[in-house]
Amino acid sequence: MPGRVTRSIGARALVAVAMLFALTAVVFWCTEVLPGDAVGVVSGQDATPAERDAVRVALGLDRPALERYVDWIAHALQGDLGVSLVSGRAVAGIVSARFGTTVSLLVPAALGIAALAGALGTAAGLRQGSRLDRFLSGATVVLIGTPDFLLATMLLAVSAACLPALPAVALLPPGGSLWQHPELVVLPALALALGGFGSTMRLLRASVAHAARAPFAEFARLNGVRGPRYVRTVLASALGPAIHSLSIMIAGLLGGGIVVESLFNVPGVGYELGRAVATRDVPLVQALSLVVSASCLFILLVGDVLSRLAGPRAPRHADADTAVTV
Amino acid sequence: MRLLRWGALIAVAAVLLLALTGPWWTPASTTTPVGTPFRPPDGIHLLGTDVLGRDALARLLAGGRTLVLQALAATLAGSIAGVSIGAWTAMTRWRAPAIVVLRVVDGVAALPALLLLLLLAAGAPGDDVVVALAVVLVSLPFSVRVVAERTRALTASPYHREAVARGDRAWERLRHDIAPGLLPVALAEAGVRFIAAVQIAATASFLGLGAGAPAASWGRMVRENTPGLDANPGPVVVPAVLLVVLAGGVIALLDRASLRRLDGAERIEGTP
Repeated sequence: MPGRVTRSIGARALVAVAMLFALTAVVFWCTEVLPGDAVGVVSGQDATPAERDAVRVALGLDRPALERYVDWIAHALQGDLGVSLVSGRAVAGIVSARFGTTVSLLVPAALGIAALAGALGTAAGLRQGSRLDRFLSGATVVLIGTPDFLLATMLLAVSAACLPALPAVALLPPGGSLWQHPELVVLPALALALGGFGSTMRLLRASVAHAARAPFAEFARLNGVRGPRYVRTVLASALGPAIHSLSIMIAGLLGGGIVVESLFNVPGVGYELGRAVATRDVPLVQALSLVVSASCLFILLVGDVLSRLAGPRAPRHADADTAVTV
Repeated sequence: MRLLRWGALIAVAAVLLLALTGPWWTPASTTTPVGTPFRPPDGIHLLGTDVLGRDALARLLAGGRTLVLQALAATLAGSIAGVSIGAWTAMTRWRAPAIVVLRVVDGVAALPALLLLLLLAAGAPGDDVVVALAVVLVSLPFSVRVVAERTRALTASPYHREAVARGDRAWERLRHDIAPGLLPVALAEAGVRFIAAVQIAATASFLGLGAGAPAASWGRMVRENTPGLDANPGPVVVPAVLLVVLAGGVIALLDRASLRRLDGAERIEGTP
């Protein structure tokens, strides 16, 4: 049995690595082969065709795309992500600084969602159809139906009117880290959490409800198992799918960060990515998208492995299985 | 409940109509300033002015069409592609290619939608069609998954296995055995995809992707007019409300379709 688990984890890790490599090709194709080209950025708007050609040769863009791709991968594997076209600084340094800021936003948001969605999802899933369940399902539908940027803007407006003590725009002193300024984290983290709460709470409720409907839970109820012991019984079975949902939520927050960070001016990965796209800073766009997608794949992989270790997952093709046995 | 559904239908239709026909009856220029920034509404400018002193109502009317067209086109293209790929992976006898396709689809699903959107927008800046394509790309994996799982359930049904044993062609089985059970799921899925498409397209304009700065769009209106929320809330609140009504209305319509999907599943299981 342990051998099988190890093998399945290894297979999943291999798939993740293969996907990461496929992604490097996608990132490279989007940024280098599509028309939005780095030459225009470096040479400026008034450049003559001759000057543009000179820049093209200097950047090595006259070489075939495949050769440049292999070159880029080889350098990236050695930790050399190139130099920003706009600021001239090493991309690796920018990316690691931005990543730290994003993490210090992501961690409180993810913990907040996990705690709140976990508690409410359990309460709603154990008493399906109760008043709390119906209220929460309505409220989360509203949350899901509202785009993240509207939720964040609303939060910004409300806090500007009611809580002037909290700074709406993070003005981080140079050299300072976001960890040292908790008051700057509150609003962006809250905005991030608001965007991810709705779908996570629905997923958690569904896995608890699924477990509560299972025959073993009914057996426990009929045998008079009540209170905390019953909750523990159901949750033990819902834990695997719940961990899976949480990992999807955390990976999703990385994407939500792009909106929240650029709205609140938090200098994180998403903020920098939006800026790099606007200024066509190709090496920076490539490095940031690689970091974001690699982190997503890693989070999903960890979630997958943990949920497997936590217990049997709910059968994925429930109706297929029942239909076959009929 | 019936009343709610009719209300949702009317609200969604009204927002769609407003967005699609709006550019034809803008009362003023969408780019020329008509007064000082963030002037509250008066008799001539019904929503007041925006951050650059332009007529907010004109920009509101002009700013919805691209978004709605992007969302509708992406939903249509995504549904067709999702149903084709999903049904193919579930019905084909070539298991290996189908598994590869599903793996690729999972890989795309693992990425944040906005990252793909930004990447494609970086490759082809200022292009609204690319935004629509990006929306298709990010929502396709979920459609494929849902359709594939549903089709797999349907192919396991006794009547489909009987059709296979009878020697029906794949096309006939698709038409008579699979399609009737798949249709409600595909419709509900299209509704879910439309909501996601509206949100992603609006977020794209909020982030300044797609057509460049002077062009009006609801997402950008929210972004650029937030600083003047105290003086003139209209240019932020009205597009925001329209976006929420559109998504909420489709969700309210959808609940019934999803319920019917559940009924369909029970019917298949109960078939002797």
